[in-house]
Amino acid sequence: MSTSIIAADPPPGFAGYIRADGRVGVRNHLALVSTVALANRIAELSAARFDAARGPGTDPVLRIQGEFQRGLQTADAALQDYVLFRLISHPNVGAAVVLCHDLSTAQRWIARLKGQTTSVLVLAVMAYHGINDAITQTVNALTALAALLKPMQRDWCGFSRLTFALECGGSDASSAICSNPAIGRFVDRAVALGASVIVSETAEFIGGEEVVRAQSANGDIAERIIERIARTESRMTSDGDRYRGTNPTSENIEAGLTTLVEKTMGALCKIGRSPFVDCLNFGQPATQPGLSFMDTPFFSPCSITGMVAAGAQITLFSMGVFNPSGNPLAPTLKVCGNPDTVSRWSDGIDVALVDLLEGRINLDAAGERVMEAVLGVAGGERTHTESWGEGQFMIPRELPTF
Amino acid sequence: MLRYTTADDSLPVLFRKPRCVPRIALQVHPSDNVVTLIDALVDETRTRCGLALRDPIAFGHKAATRTIAEGESVIKYGVTIGRATRPIEVGDHVHVHNCC
Repeated sequence: MSTSIIAADPPPGFAGYIRADGRVGVRNHLALVSTVALANRIAELSAARFDAARGPGTDPVLRIQGEFQRGLQTADAALQDYVLFRLISHPNVGAAVVLCHDLSTAQRWIARLKGQTTSVLVLAVMAYHGINDAITQTVNALTALAALLKPMQRDWCGFSRLTFALECGGSDASSAICSNPAIGRFVDRAVALGASVIVSETAEFIGGEEVVRAQSANGDIAERIIERIARTESRMTSDGDRYRGTNPTSENIEAGLTTLVEKTMGALCKIGRSPFVDCLNFGQPATQPGLSFMDTPFFSPCSITGMVAAGAQITLFSMGVFNPSGNPLAPTLKVCGNPDTVSRWSDGIDVALVDLLEGRINLDAAGERVMEAVLGVAGGERTHTESWGEGQFMIPRELPTF
Repeated sequence: MLRYTTADDSLPVLFRKPRCVPRIALQVHPSDNVVTLIDALVDETRTRCGLALRDPIAFGHKAATRTIAEGESVIKYGVTIGRATRPIEVGDHVHVHNCC
């Protein structure tokens, strides 16, 4: 006698990397993090030498480049450190080499990273005897960590272990009709399944304050988000320029978006119908499952960095006209319903929704298509941005640089 | 509710009609005074909703469905997205040249 134990409709899941502390990665990157611009070139040469030695068929080292660190005032210096720390200990990182310039910074990073479950080797360029030696030592560190990554296997994980970053780029009318509402449908489903979703780009909430009020779990959360929107708007208008209603980007304007409020109302279609459960600072992890707002600049490489630093393992990027941006650490799915963009940039689009615009499928089917693509990517399928090696990290600064 | 949502399937129905000669102009919210052209038939002046276009209007751009006086609200998604900077006639292209 046999008994069927197959559930009628099993909840979605994926094969991910379960870390020692329970976090779940959808990738197992070997990262090379240079903490300051001074170390970037040596990191670049080291990664190139290491990748060439490993040959084709292996994933290249994921490089995360620092910029300033030096010459920054307190809050900015702290944010640079915090974001780099969050990226090094991101669940999609299996192991990391952290390349500093000087010894005392290296000592500080060793102390900071103590107790992390991610295997990390911290190096200081100044400890070595020449540039070639620094490269050789960095390659040796990468080689040692690559051996640790090899035996790591994927295991079945529940969907609720995922955090998603939502982003818009190259917004046009099709974004508001196709890609954003399709992502919104996906978000509704993801939240129902217990996942976390983060939406950011504070400036692109200007004009959408009523939506925030209507869609927050309580009045306190709504007011905290609206306070961030108001602060951003006042900063944007502080130079006397009337940004409100006039600040879509040039490609947005070419594509037909006239004002920032019009852009905002389209962008808000991607959040679905779930209530906001929290208002987060740049890079701050979600405090609970559900939809969270994060206060970030609107430039996509920067806003995505904030959400990925928060722990998002996958980015959903709604696109109207083409925008190449993506994040190298959190695989970025480009979702697009603009027929012209889809036909011209098919090698950069992961989820095409032209048939939604043409009326051959409905929004539920479009949301389901996003879900299928997400599950594939969570299980290891490459996104286009990953195969092109596209992506940037950008940490905002608010204060003068000295 | 100010929020635009394509919760219903009204949009796809628009496209199931045969013969795509007149242009498809999408009105998002009943109180809007603009529609969005969502096809690439730039030189066609007729639309399915009966609106006659006075300008060639590209995919994703807007046309006025009502006369909009200078200073009056341009409404899309049921909210004011901008103000007319000059008088706008029915069928005119509405964009940065006459709205901010």
